[in-house]
Amino acid sequence: MNVLEVANLNKYFNEPVRNQVLKNVGFQVERGEFVAITGKSGCGKSTLLYLLSTMDTDFEGSIMIDGEQMKGKTNRWLAAFRNRHIGFVFQFHYLLPEFTSLENVMLPARKLGEYPVGEIEQRAMQLLKLLNVDGQALKRAGLLSGGQQQRVAISRALINDPLIVMGDEPTGNLDSANGATVFGLFKELAIERKQTVLVVTHDEDFARRADRRIYMADGSILDA
Amino acid sequence: MKKRLTNIALSASIAATYMRAKLRQTLVATAGVAFGITVFIFMVSFIQGTNEYTQDVVFQQSPHLRLFNEVQIADQSLLDRRFPRMVNVVHHQKPKDILLNLKDANQALEDLAGDPRVQAASGAINTQVFFRLGSSSLNGKLNGVDLEKEDQLFSLSGKVIEGSYEEAMVKTNSILMGTGLAKLLNVRTGDQVVVTTEKGGNFPVIVAGIFKTGLTDIDKQQCYASTKTVQKLLGAPASYLTEIKVKLLDKELAPEMSHELQARYHYQGSDWKKDNASLLEGDVLRKMIVYGVAGTILLVAGFGIFNILTMMIYEKMKEIAILKATGFSDSDVKGIFLTQALVIGAAGAVMGLAFGFLISYAVSKVPFNSDVMITLDHLPVSFKPVYYITGFTFGILTTALSGYLPSRKAAKMDPIAILRG
Repeated sequence: MNVLEVANLNKYFNEPVRNQVLKNVGFQVERGEFVAITGKSGCGKSTLLYLLSTMDTDFEGSIMIDGEQMKGKTNRWLAAFRNRHIGFVFQFHYLLPEFTSLENVMLPARKLGEYPVGEIEQRAMQLLKLLNVDGQALKRAGLLSGGQQQRVAISRALINDPLIVMGDEPTGNLDSANGATVFGLFKELAIERKQTVLVVTHDEDFARRADRRIYMADGSILDA
Repeated sequence: MKKRLTNIALSASIAATYMRAKLRQTLVATAGVAFGITVFIFMVSFIQGTNEYTQDVVFQQSPHLRLFNEVQIADQSLLDRRFPRMVNVVHHQKPKDILLNLKDANQALEDLAGDPRVQAASGAINTQVFFRLGSSSLNGKLNGVDLEKEDQLFSLSGKVIEGSYEEAMVKTNSILMGTGLAKLLNVRTGDQVVVTTEKGGNFPVIVAGIFKTGLTDIDKQQCYASTKTVQKLLGAPASYLTEIKVKLLDKELAPEMSHELQARYHYQGSDWKKDNASLLEGDVLRKMIVYGVAGTILLVAGFGIFNILTMMIYEKMKEIAILKATGFSDSDVKGIFLTQALVIGAAGAVMGLAFGFLISYAVSKVPFNSDVMITLDHLPVSFKPVYYITGFTFGILTTALSGYLPSRKAAKMDPIAILRG
């Protein structure tokens, strides 16, 4: 079953001049697949990922996630959808610096509001432990090192058991040991929990070990 | 519904974290709101207090409602009665010769005393006289009043600066003289002056006391005496009254009641609004100035509040994008900043009201001695709740608006549009 179906996807940047960054992109991803998107800088892979994450709504074509069309939905609907089904890891972690690591991880789950706060906290602690940053749980996120923040951000992406985990260079800031932990975790999510993982990466090794690799150049998919 | 409630609680707790993290900024913003509202409360209370005081000085002197008889032109001439179907024109009609007394005045006074809308009613007999002392003679007005009731109506006894009000009340042939008039005649309490009436009679009277209302026109021309004394001077019977003065419980009813009473008793009448039209007009203008000044203060304060909150929200732009990326909706984001704005607004407004009240209270205790306004010993300050309600409402509204507008803009953007910059 396809969890993600992309067809005829075109994306333009209008500043400073109109420029087509994605050209007729189309592909499908099955549930439980671990997909790496690679390509040179500027080939449009991050832009593609942002569109798939529903955080950018300015595109032509069709994006279906879990059978739902993303085009033309309201902001409110998309926010709720992201909250429930998509876990996103940014390249620059993007935590809320005034909140503790634990609070950062808990926020999406508190927004979802399906479990009591105590349960959410427990689960958030488990995730932090899994990523080896449970020691920093009660520190303010702004005080953590880049690698630690990245791992907190990954915990945050996983807190709601999303259908798809998306990452924009999620291991870019990590040393090889922690990078391996994250890779192992993603692999486990895909195999054991049938969660789909979609990662944009420059890391050749990381990409090679994924289930599938989508290679992009100049806004088009060369090899799916 | 429950979900909505937890969302609001979540927004509020995020707002609380932000405010704790930027405590100094939050306090500065709160102080900004408080300052604006303090100035507003103080200015309005002081200006309005002064206005109300000057108005009171005049209104204390004038009844809410007066009933009297006036010399009139007959509306129907003799010719009209004789030739009813003709067009009759009479040039230079002379006024009717009528008695200026009110018919059945005592009955009317009794009726009025029983009226639930009336606080007090007093009959009076007013006449133009000359006051003579030696060779000087001055034109003036002698008001024969029920001194006991007059005191209830206008607290006349409080304006007596020399002599005794009680003496004037009990002794016949004694009068209370305006301070200006007394100065011109060079008389003091206990002196005798001669009163000459219209008809030419001369009567000696004793000055029992001297009063000062603060209104030059009255102080320079008028004297008070008991109705009995004046009736005696005029050679009129005890039922002879030329004016009924009424004080109402609600003075706004005056114009309406005036019409009613005029129709019932066939008297002429006037009310305080008519009598003080120019003063009231001036009051409207002064009020416009007050609200102009107050509006300007609030506008400046509001602009400051708007700036601070806008800055706070623009600083948080990236975090708004992060919140939205993790699934927070536009309304959650708006809720977070609206909560901050409202907390700042409410705290600032309450502080502003408290400081405003304290400053106003302090000012109202500042001694102020005036030669003209003898009843004034401290600066006049008004403590009407309506200013406090206005100030609070305004504080909340501006902060809510200045929190809402920029956060609405932030909430509408795609998170990536913000993160990409």
